[in-house]
Amino acid sequence: MRQNSDCPPLSALSIFLILLLAAPCALGQSVAAGDATATLDAAVQQLADRVAGIPNLRGPVRVRYFQEAGFATETGKDWQDMFREELEKLRVNVTEDAGANLLRVGLAETPTEVVLSAGVRLNDREEVRIVTLARAAFAIPNVPVSPIRVDQQMVYQSGDRILDAAFPTDDAGPGLVILANRAAGLSVLRVDGAGKIRQAVSLAGTGARVSRDNDGELQLHANDVGVVFAGKACRMAWTAPDASCHAAKSARRAATALKARCGDGTWKLLADGSDWFAPELLQVVPEGSARKGSAALLSNFPGPILSVSPGGEPNEDSALVVTRNLRTGNYEVYKITLACGN
Amino acid sequence: MRCTKSRWLAGISALAVALTLAAALRAESTKRPRYGGTLRVQLRAASLSLDPREWKAGSVAAADSERLGALVYDRLVTLDEYGRFQAGLATEWSHDVGAKNWQFKIRAGVKFSDGTALTAKDVVAALQPLIPAGLTIASGEGAVTIRAQRAVPDLLEQLASGRTFVFRAQSGNAPLLGTGPFVLAESTPPTPSEANSWALKPARMKFRANEDCWAGRPFLDAIDVTLGDPPLRQILNLQVGRAELIDIPPDLVRKARQENLRVWSSPPETLLALRFDDAQAATKDARLREALDLALDRETMANVLLQRQAQPAAGLLPQWLSGYAFLFGDAMNLERAKELRAALPANVAGGTEPLRMRVDATGDLMKVLGERVAVNARQANLSVQPVSHTASGAGGPAPATGLHLIAWHYDSLSPRVALQEMAQQLHAEAGALEAGEPRDPEKLFGAELQLLETRQLLPLVLLPEYVGMASNVRNWSVAPSGEWRLADVWLDTAESTASNGDGSGEPNAARGVHP
Repeated sequence: MRQNSDCPPLSALSIFLILLLAAPCALGQSVAAGDATATLDAAVQQLADRVAGIPNLRGPVRVRYFQEAGFATETGKDWQDMFREELEKLRVNVTEDAGANLLRVGLAETPTEVVLSAGVRLNDREEVRIVTLARAAFAIPNVPVSPIRVDQQMVYQSGDRILDAAFPTDDAGPGLVILANRAAGLSVLRVDGAGKIRQAVSLAGTGARVSRDNDGELQLHANDVGVVFAGKACRMAWTAPDASCHAAKSARRAATALKARCGDGTWKLLADGSDWFAPELLQVVPEGSARKGSAALLSNFPGPILSVSPGGEPNEDSALVVTRNLRTGNYEVYKITLACGN
Repeated sequence: MRCTKSRWLAGISALAVALTLAAALRAESTKRPRYGGTLRVQLRAASLSLDPREWKAGSVAAADSERLGALVYDRLVTLDEYGRFQAGLATEWSHDVGAKNWQFKIRAGVKFSDGTALTAKDVVAALQPLIPAGLTIASGEGAVTIRAQRAVPDLLEQLASGRTFVFRAQSGNAPLLGTGPFVLAESTPPTPSEANSWALKPARMKFRANEDCWAGRPFLDAIDVTLGDPPLRQILNLQVGRAELIDIPPDLVRKARQENLRVWSSPPETLLALRFDDAQAATKDARLREALDLALDRETMANVLLQRQAQPAAGLLPQWLSGYAFLFGDAMNLERAKELRAALPANVAGGTEPLRMRVDATGDLMKVLGERVAVNARQANLSVQPVSHTASGAGGPAPATGLHLIAWHYDSLSPRVALQEMAQQLHAEAGALEAGEPRDPEKLFGAELQLLETRQLLPLVLLPEYVGMASNVRNWSVAPSGEWRLADVWLDTAESTASNGDGSGEPNAARGVHP
C-alpha cells in the first residue's frame, strides 16, 4: 500500500534539508590559503585541537590512519607523526591498546580540496571532525632535480600556458621574454630577474590564433620581438607594442646547440614532448656523437618538455626549457647551463 | 670461438647505440602532435542525447551523453587536475563576500559553429534551465551575473561539471549549436539491418573538427561514434583495429587485460545501490531494512563477483568526492541480521510474500549482482526475489516491488550537490531542496550519515569507468568531471594501429584527479 502523501514521514530528505539549513554560514573549518607546508601543518594542528575538544573523549585513543596511496607519495607520513604529537600536547594519550577507543584519521584529496578528517564512536554516537583546505593552496614544493653535468635552474613559473621563452636581446637588463596563452588570449610578457611581469603585450587583436599543440615560437631581434605560428608571423616592439601579423611560412626552430665554456665542442638538446602526461628527460648530445660513440647526458624534468630555445650570445652555454610540471599543473621555465668539471 | 662471439656482440651493441643516437639526432627540437585522422569510438549505450536539458541527474546514460556533449559545447569554467578553476567561456569571475552574487566576464570573439558570435544572452538562455532552482542568471555588457538567496560557495564546481554547458537552441528539430572543438556532422538512428530485418544496425554519430574553435582546432579531423555494439564485439573491434576507443563493462575488464589490451580506469563514478520502495508495505519496517543492510556482503560482491574491478561502498558519496567516506565502516553483521529477522513477522520478506527486487538497469552485471543480494538475504532468512525490469510489463499488471537495484552516476564536482541530487531523485515526494546551503564538511557528513541511517538506500559497490584504447592514441586525459578531453587526443601514425598495449595494461595518462 502506498503511503498517504498528506502525512509524509520524516523522510531522509527532510533530515538532510534540516541538517544543511542548520549549518553555520561561516566556513569555520576551512584553513586559509598560504604556504603549502605551513597550511597542512595548520590543518593538522586544527584537527588535533578539534579532536581533543570532543566531549566525553576520555582515556587513551588508538589511532588508525587512512591515506590514498597516490597522495601518500606526495605528503609522506610527517603529518601523522605531527598529529600524534599535537594530540599528546593536548593531553590525549595515544596507545596501541586494542581496548582503547579507535580514532580513524584520514588525509584525502577531492577535486577541489584536501580533506583531513577524524572519527571516533563514543556511546553509540559517531563524533566526526573535518578540516579542509583548498587544493590550489596546497602545492607540493618542487623537489629539486639533481643536475649531474647539466645545471638546471627554474627561473619562472606560472599557471598560464607558456608556449615559449627566450632571453632578451635588448639592453633593458636581465630577465625573460615569455609567450603565454593567458585567460584572455595570447600575450608576450616581459619578465624581470625576480620573475615579475614588467610588460604584457596582447596578441588577441591581431588575429593570431591559439593552437592546441602549444605551437608558437619567439624570435627576438635587436629592437623588436617576433612570434612565429604555423602559417603566421607577428612582430612587435616593446616601445610601440601594437603587434602586427601577416601570413608567412613558418620556419621551425632547429635543435638547440650549446657551447660549453670549457672545450670547443657543441652539444645538442633533444626532447620528445609528444606525451603531455609523462615526465621527460632532456638529452644533451655532443654534436657528431654518433661517429664518436659518446653517450648523451640526461636531465630530468617534472613533465613534458614543450619548447627548448637557445641562449644566444652571450649565453651560448645556456638554453631555456619550458615544461609543464605534472604534479602542480604549472608551466615552468628552466635555464639549462652546461657546467664544467663534473 | 668465444672471442668471435664477443666481437659479434660488441659489434651489434655498437650498431644499436649508433642507430639509436642517429635516430635521436634526426629528431626535431621537440616532437609535435600530429593533426588529422578519425578516432573511432564505440560505446555500449544504444542511444544518447546531445541536449543537456534532457539529461537526468544520476543517470548513467546522461554520463555518456555528457562525454559527447563536451565535444560540442563549452563551459564557463573548467576544473583542472590540480584543483584550480580554469577559464572557459568566462575569462574572469568574482563574487561578493557572502558568495551570493557572482559575476562572469564572457570571452570575446567566441563563435558558435555556424559562425555567429557568442553573447552573454546566449549564456543566460542556455544556463537558466540548467542551474539549480533558487539561482537566477542575468546578462549584462559582456558579462553574466548569477544571484542566489543563500551562499553558493560551490558554484564553480557546479558550473565545471554536470549539464551546465553553453549552447544555442535553434528552431525546429535542428541540433543545438555549440562553441566546442567538434561539430555534430551526422547522426544516424538505429536502422534495420539489410541482411537481417529483425536486427538493428547501431546508431552512429559523426563529429568533425571545429576549425574556428576559440581554444584551437582539435588534432583529430573527426570522431566517429558507434552506439549500442555489444561489449564483446567492441573488444574484438579494438583488437583487430576497427576501433580506437571503447568502453568496457567491469565484468569484462579482466578479460581485456588478459588479452593485453590497453585499459584505462577512472576513480569510481557509479554507485550500485538498493533503494526501498513503499509499494510493498513490509519495507516500512526499519528492522527489515536494517536486517537486509547487515546481511549484505559488499566485500565479496566487489572482490569476487566483480573480480576486484569495483570497490565495496559503505557511504553514498565516494572517497574521491567527499574525502571522508573511509569513516563509514562495513556494516555487515549476519548474526545481528538474523536476530532482527527473527523479531519480524514470518510473512515479512518470507513465505508467500517475498521482497520483490526490480533490477532497474540492464546488463548481466546487474542481474548477477541482484542474485547475490538474494543469496545474502537468504543467509539472514529473508526472501528476496529478483524481478527483471523487462518482465514487469509482460502480460497483466506488474507485481509490486519493494526493492530496486539501481545505478547512480555522480554528476557534480560538488559533494553537497551530489548528495542533494541523490536525495532529491530518490525521495522526490519530499520536494526540491533549495540551492545555496553553505559548504560545511561536518554538516555534509552528518547529512549523509542520517541518510544512511534511514536505510532507504543501501550502497553496494562503486564502479569505475573502464576505457580500452588503441596503442596509437596519444594525449589521452580525462577531466575531473569525467569528460574525455578528446580535443587534445591525437593519433600517432608511427605506431601500429593494433590495439595491444605495452604489456603493462595501463596507459601513461593523467587520471583526472584523479585523475
